[in-house]
Amino acid sequence: MPSHEAQNLSYPLQAIEGAITPPDLFFVRDHFSEPELTLDAWRLKIEGRVARPLELSLADLLESPTKKLEAVLECAGNTAGGSAVSNAIWEGVPLAYLLRQAGVESGATMALIEGADSGRLMPDSPSLPYCQLVPIAKCMQPESLIALKLNDRFLPRRNGFPARALFPGWYAMDSVKWLQRITVLRPEAPASGFEASGMNKVYNRIVETSPGNRAVTRLSNILIRSAIAWPPDNWKLPAGRHVIRGFAWTGAGVVRGVEFSSDSGTAWTPAKLELAPKPFRWVRWNYSWRASPGEHVLMSRASDDSGHSQPLKRQPGRKDGYELNFCAPVRCSVQ
Amino acid sequence: MNVLAALLSFGSVLAAAECPPSSLGEKETLAKFQDLDRAAQSAFDRGQFAAAAEQYREAACLVPKSARAFYGLGIAEAAAGKFAAARKALETAYAILPENVMPLAMLVRVEVAAKDIDRLKEVLRTAAQRFPKNAELHSGLARFLAESQLLDLALAESLRFEQTGASDTASAVALAVLENGAGAYQDAIRTAQAVEGQSGVADAVKASAAGVAGLSYESIGEREQAIKHLSLAIELAPAQENSYLALAYLYEKAQRFKEAVAVLERGRKLMPESLHFLLPLGSNLVWSEQYQPAVDVLNELLRKAPDTLEAYLRLAEAYRNTGRPELEIEILRKLAQVKPDYPMVHVLTARAMLNMDPVDYSAVLRILAQAEKSTPNDADIFYLRGKAYVAAGRAEEAVAAFQRAIELRPMDPSPYYQLGLVYRKLGQLDLARQTLSRMEHVKQAAGTP
Repeated sequence: MPSHEAQNLSYPLQAIEGAITPPDLFFVRDHFSEPELTLDAWRLKIEGRVARPLELSLADLLESPTKKLEAVLECAGNTAGGSAVSNAIWEGVPLAYLLRQAGVESGATMALIEGADSGRLMPDSPSLPYCQLVPIAKCMQPESLIALKLNDRFLPRRNGFPARALFPGWYAMDSVKWLQRITVLRPEAPASGFEASGMNKVYNRIVETSPGNRAVTRLSNILIRSAIAWPPDNWKLPAGRHVIRGFAWTGAGVVRGVEFSSDSGTAWTPAKLELAPKPFRWVRWNYSWRASPGEHVLMSRASDDSGHSQPLKRQPGRKDGYELNFCAPVRCSVQ
Repeated sequence: MNVLAALLSFGSVLAAAECPPSSLGEKETLAKFQDLDRAAQSAFDRGQFAAAAEQYREAACLVPKSARAFYGLGIAEAAAGKFAAARKALETAYAILPENVMPLAMLVRVEVAAKDIDRLKEVLRTAAQRFPKNAELHSGLARFLAESQLLDLALAESLRFEQTGASDTASAVALAVLENGAGAYQDAIRTAQAVEGQSGVADAVKASAAGVAGLSYESIGEREQAIKHLSLAIELAPAQENSYLALAYLYEKAQRFKEAVAVLERGRKLMPESLHFLLPLGSNLVWSEQYQPAVDVLNELLRKAPDTLEAYLRLAEAYRNTGRPELEIEILRKLAQVKPDYPMVHVLTARAMLNMDPVDYSAVLRILAQAEKSTPNDADIFYLRGKAYVAAGRAEEAVAAFQRAIELRPMDPSPYYQLGLVYRKLGQLDLARQTLSRMEHVKQAAGTP
């Protein structure tokens, strides 16, 4: 029996003190109702093209080697200026450890990651568990976890308790909550639930390359992005010096720098990063701005060490609603 | 399991060099082994762990297939703090006698003592694999791990105990506590209520279960159920002070201060010697505006436990709310004596001093200067300094103080208001108008969603 309706929650970044999002401010994007899971009955199955299928209890996971890391999770559909992004300290069992225990067959390339939540993704699709296809290569990366804890506490129920997948650096849809099954697949094997549910039709990057021609690719890495946490949009400030605060993050590499503009992106000045940037996590930045009376449009722009910079505008030809990482304006009236 | 198996495949941990060749026959060997075993046991009982280890080691040399000798050696080495040697001996004992749980149970203790969590987990996995149905082993491990504050692993072992199908109310309550701690509130409620509903269970155990159910209900936002269960816990075991404290805390969170007071007074009546009731009781008396009883309770607490810092603040609040700034100042000064670096103590004192009649402005300025030394960027210091300067007729200095307060906290309208008034007093009407207009702007901004 589902205990809660599907939730869609995010909280202003302004409320976050420090670099870590507290659990009660962590964003939530559900596709289906939250499942009711009990600790003694919950199991994680690892099956498919493996030498030794596993059925793991929570006790098995708690007594397995664990790893702790800080990582940002962002919803692929996070709007420009949106706050469907959070950064936490995660702890869990490295997925590579479990896959090695199961003995992934050579030639297996993908893992179908399935949650215990289910429903109809499309009006015409059958009711099926939420699932995502993730390359084995990503699963075997040392940062990929079966996460059990968030900020040193067990995962909140709405964030996937008792266990969720975690793929740092990738958009959050692959970090399947309420995990119940991982099926290892060969390239030629159909991922039936993935296709039948219609999941293969969402979370795709669709670019119109020429009239009538569209290139469709699966989303994965989080694109470079920054956000102004304070002041919020349409804010009124007295003239004087104000510390503008925000966050910057990227899925591949590390954030190299953040720039700030108070004139809608015409002139840019470097902002100060509060800590040395590290892979997978976001970094807080600030800029001491002397606000003069008038109407201002504030923007921030991040760049990473792979040479990517946040674009000022949406990529032309994009026909989907994901990766909205262009610089978001924050309007501010100064008196 | 693999690392353990690899270690064990090397056989005895005692290298040939450690064991001198023995020319004893079978009978003499057995007799000497028994002598050594007795001597080792006796040395261990006297706390001579190194000597015990030496004798067990000698016994193990004589009978290399003796699990008893290696087990004894493991315990003695562990007691002597030699965890690596203890581990090796116990792994050998386990290899010799794999159907016996004791070497693994002792290995768990060794790894906990050695604080080696990776190895500890490995031993626990081996124990789970080898003895999945041994209820006594898993409940014992759960208890030990909980006592060692390794709560995740205690939860794992509690769940393994449940999987054995054995029934034990004390273990069930322990599981409910761990489930509640892990945030599995529905599981905790289910487990605890199963104990509550069982016949033939001691009231104290049922009370503990009701207490856990209450806390879990509170965590999922069902406060009335939480109150019901915690009240039941009190009825079942009136001498458990935690139930009173937890129930009072729920009332406090719900701002039902009078009900919190009633619960705490009931607990205090039964356990008059306990100091744990006094701070929450005093605080809830303040918040329910029963100031004189609050002052009595808090003063009693400070007489008995003068390092209860929060009690000074509650007492200051009681004095402030009853218009007794001189007593408020006195108690804050006492707090500053007990803990000179207590955050904000000087600012609070200065604020109380400004409520005196007449105000000693130079004393206020002195204490603010003291506050500035520890927290130079606290906007409140400059705001209060500005007010002190205004009252002392030092308007120019007040302007500078309020400007600094604004710089430090630009979104607080209060210093703009005060600054506007000072400008007006100084006849700088344009600046006054501009500043008061900024204050309105800030006020509007504060109301912006």
